[in-house]
Amino acid sequence: MGMGMGMDAGMDAGTDAGMEMDTDTDAGVPAPSTAPPTVGRERDVDPDTAWVTAEDGRPRDGRVRLPWTRVLLLGVLAFALWFFLFAPTLEHNAQVSPVGTRRTISLDITRPIAALSRALQLSRIVSVTGRENDQPGGTDGLIISGPRPGTSKQQPSIATRQLGVPATTTTVPPNPKLPTAATPLRVLIVGDSIGLDMGGALQSDLAGTGIVNAALDGRESTGLTRPDYFNWPAELANDIKADSPQVVVVMIGANDAQDFLGPPDTPYASPAWNGLYTQRVSQFMQIASSTHANVIWVGMPPMQNPTLSGQMVDLNTIVKQQAAAFKPPVTFIDTDKSLGTPTGGYTAFTTNAAGQIVNTRTPDGTHLTPGGSQVVAQQVIAELVSQGYHI
Amino acid sequence: MLFPTIDFAIFFAVAFTVNWLLNPYAGPWKLAMIGLSYVFYGWVGWSYCLLLFATTAVAFVGGNVTASMRNDRARRTTMIVTVAALLGILGWFKYYGFVSVNLDNVTRTLGMGQPVPLLQVALPIAISFFTFMAIIYVIDIYRRKLEPAKPLDFAVYLSFFPHLLAGPIVRGTELLPQIRRRRDPDNIDYSRAFWLILAGLFKKVVISSYVSANIVQPVFTSPSQHSAPEAIFAAWGYAVQIYCDFSGYTDIAIGLALLLGFRFPQNFNAPYTARTLQDFWRRWHMTLSRWLRDYLYIPLGGNAGNGVTTVRNIMITMVLGGLWHGAAWTFVIWGALHGVGQSVGHIRRTVRERKGLPPVADGPVRIWVQRFLTFQFVCLGWVFFNATGVSQVLDVLGRLFSGWGEPSPLVTPLLVLVVVGTLLSQFVPPISVSRLQAGFSRLHTAWQVGLLGFALLGITTFGPVGVAPFIYYRF
Repeated sequence: MGMGMGMDAGMDAGTDAGMEMDTDTDAGVPAPSTAPPTVGRERDVDPDTAWVTAEDGRPRDGRVRLPWTRVLLLGVLAFALWFFLFAPTLEHNAQVSPVGTRRTISLDITRPIAALSRALQLSRIVSVTGRENDQPGGTDGLIISGPRPGTSKQQPSIATRQLGVPATTTTVPPNPKLPTAATPLRVLIVGDSIGLDMGGALQSDLAGTGIVNAALDGRESTGLTRPDYFNWPAELANDIKADSPQVVVVMIGANDAQDFLGPPDTPYASPAWNGLYTQRVSQFMQIASSTHANVIWVGMPPMQNPTLSGQMVDLNTIVKQQAAAFKPPVTFIDTDKSLGTPTGGYTAFTTNAAGQIVNTRTPDGTHLTPGGSQVVAQQVIAELVSQGYHI
Repeated sequence: MLFPTIDFAIFFAVAFTVNWLLNPYAGPWKLAMIGLSYVFYGWVGWSYCLLLFATTAVAFVGGNVTASMRNDRARRTTMIVTVAALLGILGWFKYYGFVSVNLDNVTRTLGMGQPVPLLQVALPIAISFFTFMAIIYVIDIYRRKLEPAKPLDFAVYLSFFPHLLAGPIVRGTELLPQIRRRRDPDNIDYSRAFWLILAGLFKKVVISSYVSANIVQPVFTSPSQHSAPEAIFAAWGYAVQIYCDFSGYTDIAIGLALLLGFRFPQNFNAPYTARTLQDFWRRWHMTLSRWLRDYLYIPLGGNAGNGVTTVRNIMITMVLGGLWHGAAWTFVIWGALHGVGQSVGHIRRTVRERKGLPPVADGPVRIWVQRFLTFQFVCLGWVFFNATGVSQVLDVLGRLFSGWGEPSPLVTPLLVLVVVGTLLSQFVPPISVSRLQAGFSRLHTAWQVGLLGFALLGITTFGPVGVAPFIYYRF
């Protein structure tokens, strides 16, 4: 047996699983292969069987065997040691998990053990790595796509060339609505996992024009209700400082239908919750437009789960109201028709601009397929064009 | 339930204890294992348990009826009906959406309207794996390689949680005898089991996650902004990612089974050391390869006919093997690519044999050139495998022609070390790993606890928050 990472597991020494080895098609049953492997050397021999003698069949691999009770004890003690050393991180993970019974129980268990771990300075073993409170998954910062200003060899877009705009500018500050390869339009796309779905397609489409520099920052399982888990306002402020976008596209909210963490906790959908969420959305819009960028906020689509779908309608209503208050520079785009039925209900299929039926939603009934992402990306691009951007 | 979670650790502690406490009592043990496996499966969605039960019932009844038929033709008919029913269940859940969208697009283009309704059918996790195991059972009974099992034995065989979600695809002839006999509670090969579990976790949680986040995902998300070296490392990186992801899962599954007293078949054998595509498929997802060989390729005629029929059989097998992985054209192309590659290899060998040419002498240079070329071909296939569509494939591959001379900030020394190191680790002799396991098993318990605890700490510390599901859970 060969070992990837020195550790592929198995028991069938020399089993030949490739095509064409067995030519015995009589009765459709292949003869059991006893042929040695093609690349047969010592390393292809299974360590389990290599050390077994034919006489007594007892293992001669040198590995000591144990009764199950001893194995259980060993496993439990090793797990306990790990738990003790890792407890501060586990406590942090519990703190940032959704409010509910599971979180309460997790905190009740991890808190005292984490305190003891810290008191004994054992938590330093993890904290010295700087990974005790790691960030959630996603793009891990900005992914920037498109021409680099002043270095691109790409041609101006058809729209730009038709307008007779020169491909480079000299002393006149570039007009963001007439981007060129040398002075590309800078677009920042931020969002949760659905925003990440859409953002990938939008980034690719925009970068493909050759005159847009698109940056994407998507974070799975994030939103505006739990800054203790992921602080989106701070992240957006950093992104804006780093990228100086002229357009900011936001698609966020799928994880926001949960209580605000207290104390005291603010129950979801209560009047106080609606007020707090309105403030968070408003704050986010202010940060997004702080460098005079145009903001396009893409609403959440209908979801297969009726409860979640209803929650998204409520959140969209709040965002829509705030977008109206901030317009311009904030524009809200609905996705309930582009990704939903004519009445705004859930559907997994739609017809795209080319007249093809497209499966827009993943089997979880929440996220977007590449086809669905493309539908929303084109909607955003259409909005940009309608606002006068020549891309 | 995902393996690398605390939920599963608690579940397994209970399952391990129940397994050995009930070991002397066959009936209660089987009922307990079925119950635990259904809880494990139902953790994802309880409705899926009905599907697992339905598949179990169809295969069990079909197998028994097939065995009871005295007439060969009736046996064959019953077997075909049962396999068709099992494939029908799989086809509905896995392929209906794909087929209906493509069919409707064709008929609409021809002005024939929409012949089939568009429905999004949720794909139950593990269905591809347990359906194939059910088919093995029925066909092996038809071939008289296997006696019909007792109902509880068969239910354990199909639902046994260590293999349930993503294999290995274990045969009835391998697992049913182990289910029937009492396992030795005093003779657990724990050092090998713990090694496999920790190695699997390390591959999945640390290596696969790192490579995915630092090169594969960024490049595949927006290929146009990345350089040619980044595109190359993204393809090599995905080879490392999917290997560490899937073989990591398999290692954990085999290690868990070992702790419960069961031995599963090998599923990986250093696949990136392969010198030909044929060799690769003997080393990659070996339990699927042998399934395709024994239950599809050979029944089609294998390589017993002339060259044309052999190539046809290879192509059918590989394209269907590709489609098994998912209902998308990229998987079909991936399978076809491997089919074409294997067919070319077959034709070359046949021509040499016909001309009576002697085998080409092996030398180190030839061996390493073959390995390098095979790996590059496999990586080309992986680009299709990982892409969301053909246009993304073209975007990634296009960078190989247009992305030179640009900066490659993602190709860091650490990334190169991880990718190349993982590939080179496939050449580590297993005998040295076995010696390490033997050395561990002779240590004092306190040292063993310390080593295991700190190994787990290293894995969880250097892994990301929230581990992504295994890639093969999708299939």
